[in-house]
Amino acid sequence: MSGNAGRDTIVAPATAPGRSAIAVVRIDGPDAISIVEALAGRELETRRATHTSLRDGNEAIDDAVVVVYRAPSSYTGNDLVEVSLHGSSYLVGKLIDVVRRSGARIAEPGEFTERAVLNGKLDLVQAESVADLVDARAAMQSRLSLRNLSGELSRASESMRATLLDLVSRFEAALDFADEGYEFVGRAEARSLLESLLGEVRETAATWSRGHAIQAGLTAVILGLPNAGKSTLLNFLCGTERAIVTPVAGTTRDLLRETVDLGGVPVTFVDTAGLRASGDAIEEIGVGRAREVARTADLVLYLIDSSQGVTDEDRAELGQLRDPIVVFTKSDLAEGGEGAISVLAGRGTKELLARLDAEVNERYAMAEESPTVVNQRQRGAFDACAEALEGALAALRSEASEEFVAADLRRAASALGALTGAISSDDIYREIFGRFCIGK
Amino acid sequence: MPLLDSFDVVVIGGGHAGAEAARVAARGGARVALVTMIRDAIGRMSCNPAIGGLAKGHLVKEIDALGGLMGEATDAAGIQFKVLNRSKGPAVQGPRAQCDRDLYAAAVQRILAAEPNLTIIETTVSRIAYEGNRVSAVILGDGARIDTTAVIVTTGTFLRALMHSGEAKVVGGRFGEPSSDGLSDSLRAAGLSLGRLKTGTPPRVLASSVDYSRLDLAPGDAVPRPFSILTDTIALPQVSCWTTYTGAEAHDVIRRNLDRAPMFSGQIKATGPRYCPSIEDKVVRFADKERHLVFVEPEGLEHPWLYLNGVSTSLPADVQDAVVRSMPGFERASIARYGYAVEYDFVNPQQLTPSLEARSVEGLFLAGQINGTSGYEEAAAQGLLAGINALQLVRGREPVILPRDLAYAGVMIDDLVTLGTEEPYRMFTSRAEYRLLLGCDSVYERLTSMADALGIVDEERLRRVTSRLQRTAAAREAIEGAELRPDRETLAWLLPLGVSIAGPTTVAGLLARPELDADALFRHCGTTGQLAHLAEIRGRLADEELEGVVNRARYSGYIEKQEREARNLRDDDSLKIPPGFHFERPGLSTEVIEKLKRVQPASLGQAARIPGMTPAAVAVLRINLRYELRSASGAGRGA
Ligand SMILES: Cc1cc2nc3c(=O)[nH]c(=O)nc-3n(C[C@H](O)[C@H](O)[C@H](O)COP(=O)(O)OP(=O)(O)OC[C@H]3O[C@@H](n4cnc5c(N)ncnc54)[C@H](O)[C@@H]3O)c2cc1C
Repeated sequence: MSGNAGRDTIVAPATAPGRSAIAVVRIDGPDAISIVEALAGRELETRRATHTSLRDGNEAIDDAVVVVYRAPSSYTGNDLVEVSLHGSSYLVGKLIDVVRRSGARIAEPGEFTERAVLNGKLDLVQAESVADLVDARAAMQSRLSLRNLSGELSRASESMRATLLDLVSRFEAALDFADEGYEFVGRAEARSLLESLLGEVRETAATWSRGHAIQAGLTAVILGLPNAGKSTLLNFLCGTERAIVTPVAGTTRDLLRETVDLGGVPVTFVDTAGLRASGDAIEEIGVGRAREVARTADLVLYLIDSSQGVTDEDRAELGQLRDPIVVFTKSDLAEGGEGAISVLAGRGTKELLARLDAEVNERYAMAEESPTVVNQRQRGAFDACAEALEGALAALRSEASEEFVAADLRRAASALGALTGAISSDDIYREIFGRFCIGK
Repeated sequence: MPLLDSFDVVVIGGGHAGAEAARVAARGGARVALVTMIRDAIGRMSCNPAIGGLAKGHLVKEIDALGGLMGEATDAAGIQFKVLNRSKGPAVQGPRAQCDRDLYAAAVQRILAAEPNLTIIETTVSRIAYEGNRVSAVILGDGARIDTTAVIVTTGTFLRALMHSGEAKVVGGRFGEPSSDGLSDSLRAAGLSLGRLKTGTPPRVLASSVDYSRLDLAPGDAVPRPFSILTDTIALPQVSCWTTYTGAEAHDVIRRNLDRAPMFSGQIKATGPRYCPSIEDKVVRFADKERHLVFVEPEGLEHPWLYLNGVSTSLPADVQDAVVRSMPGFERASIARYGYAVEYDFVNPQQLTPSLEARSVEGLFLAGQINGTSGYEEAAAQGLLAGINALQLVRGREPVILPRDLAYAGVMIDDLVTLGTEEPYRMFTSRAEYRLLLGCDSVYERLTSMADALGIVDEERLRRVTSRLQRTAAAREAIEGAELRPDRETLAWLLPLGVSIAGPTTVAGLLARPELDADALFRHCGTTGQLAHLAEIRGRLADEELEGVVNRARYSGYIEKQEREARNLRDDDSLKIPPGFHFERPGLSTEVIEKLKRVQPASLGQAARIPGMTPAAVAVLRINLRYELRSASGAGRGA
């Protein structure tokens, strides 16, 4: 059941994007509870923080803490669910995506508050201060999108808008000025224009997942000869006793993974078996896996025990690696040179973190500069645009008359409008009258 | 000032807007006076005697469904009918008719004369009198006064009108008719600010001076289709039009004389319409186009003139002569009246409410070209709505505002009052976001019952509409109920139609296939016992009605999609902004507040359509409105 304001279910992140320990996603409306229960695969108790894993089909989303509020006892007065995830914008995006696919839509700015007001949960004085916030947030959002639109994405969106405006106006001209003796738009030409536009829109929409895949999926592999201090470093990085650390070489036989936030980017460190030829079959498998991971990893840390110095084996291994970050360890036992660390003595570790941070930034700063769709709203706009363009293409293929193609093109234009500025009918006429000599 | 008489509604100007306004208000029971300068000029067409076309034809059909007169008058005067865009889908096909200009004006005058509550007064209104912020009377040229509750100003291009032909300037709103100057001051006194626009008209040529063998024929439809549901058949003989073109010679002459064109010499400063460029405009802006098409259209069955559609101009007479005589077929042509441009005062309609009433003064309505539109149909549709709303005011009832997804007339008026006009506004189908819902074949379904509830539909029209809707509903039901299964017998029966079915369907499902000829299917139904009733039902439908039924079946997917989208729009449109609402709200920028105050939107939907409104601003406004609505309705808190 739900309060009377809000017939549909809406979803949005409730915490600001960026680095934070947890991120909260809010879902409000009649289907809020059933959607989350489906993801949790279980019933959820009201007003109780429930720890549960959320899955999208077979794929795990995250271990989350979920609180269910039932109408009318919630912030909005509707059924409302708050999901706390690990603080990663990738996870937030993924959850919102799944919830959206389950029938919810992305909330408009201020919509939760509006619902609260309409259900009598907030009075207008409170809401007016929220309204200020909404405006501020919208301003921030547009600044954010401006920044994001300043480079490649801006150019890409401009060209998409131009193509769309061109197409829309030619189809409109073909309808409204049919007796002017012009062929405004050839079907074959329109098809190829539309196909390439659709490609562009899809590609841009895909940058969202690419951008986030980078953020979520950076892997850093820790390599080194046995007992170079790999597990110690991992434990330090994640601050827990995840790997069993013993002085016995070869303790880590399989891969251990831990995700750490570096420079705002989640980096999964993979501890590996020490690289050596041993007679132990299981250890051999572990070494094989370590080498395999090293091939696909985004970052490779190669650890060298300062007390042993650089050995021939190290040289052989290093020769096979791409851009390794070499770290001398155990500087408490021997002088390791610049950048050497000792986890035990707590020496050089801060510097190492800064260095890793810088490496991540330097190598993956690209993710911010290239045309990347930064938020769900933008992503939703591109997706809706692509869907409408597919409709237009289908109408063209089925030889439907121009007004059906135009109906979909206009939907595409209004979807994109949120990002690139709306295409108004005056834009359309300016384009038509600027290009063609029509009118009697 | 001597009191002459008193009326409920006074309409100033007997153009296309004024005629509809006066007629509908009178029909609804108000006592109406139509005051116009020249009685014989009522219903006169200033420009080409053609009615309809794309979007404009839609407006005429809507006017007919709402009980207006333009469709009837066109049917009575039409000498060439043509449905434009036949090759496109149903929603964007628009009927057009070339009319006999004298017969058209006569038909309008006949229809008005038959209206018992309507008095026509031939004189000039020199000003409007107000009492407080209400209209109280109009003052005539001779000083006499007519008291009234509502005034509808439909003075077209006549306010402070100036005609230009080359270097010559003549005061006047239309060839041979005077300008009207006093009313501009009355409008200003009502707090309205005025702007300037211009429009032009091409030269008319003596029909007897043209060599028709050198023209291309442009015939109309073989079977003319009437505009009005009241018309069974078109009675007048039908004629053909022609086309010719301007070529290099004409363009050279124009280029050499550009400095003598008022638009280029700076003599005219007002804005003209982009969609109706003068020939000098076309030659300058599209310099590499070698030919410009010209439609040659008769002004009437016996009228001695031809209208040259495509060479609107205000160049001097000698240049017009040279241009016209360079066109194939016009080598020896003589011009009967030279083309000219006219500049006039208009009122930016952002100053009006969606019922076309001035926001500053109760009872002052404006309709037609005075609102910055162009064209007879646009004027007539506004006139009809202004007439309806003046009637509502007199009766003390709620104003009538047509939603954008219900009628082109609704789209137009919403555009006018929300966006304003910077150049003369013309209706295009692309102005309607839900164009697929606004086809000519569904006007009676959409509009007549509403008009009937207002008491403005005559009995005969209502009888015809009702029976039409019954016939088409029955047909729709019959085709949806006629089931077909892919058994051997049915497949064999379908064979001659060249179609097959893979699963169970209905006749409606078959009709949805674009490749199938609907008429052939219905005829074929007559060959089998179970479906014979369909052939019979088809027999009862007029062609236009059949098209409506088939289109609905064929395009239901698209139609339903647009209906869904339109519902969202309706939600926002039904959230009314109460008069006197304060727009200074926390969270709204000064820029947005300024815009809102200028337009004074009547609903959230209208507010959202003001250029420059941000989604956040709409959200803030929505919260405030809904909240106040709740408080006002006493719903209280804690739902
Ligand atoms: C030269 C010219 C060229 C045009 N060209 C085009 C074109 O190319 N395309 C197009 O679509 N449209 C064109 N039009 C526009 C079209 O003619 C008008 O849009 C339409 O007629 C407007 O209708 P209306 O009812 O608003 O005004 P009108 O038809 O102009 O009627 C106004 C009436 O008001 C009367 N009147 C004015 N002042 C007073 C007063 N003070 N007291 C009493 N009566 C008064 C006048 O006598 C007149 O009868 C043109 C108009 C003109 C004048």
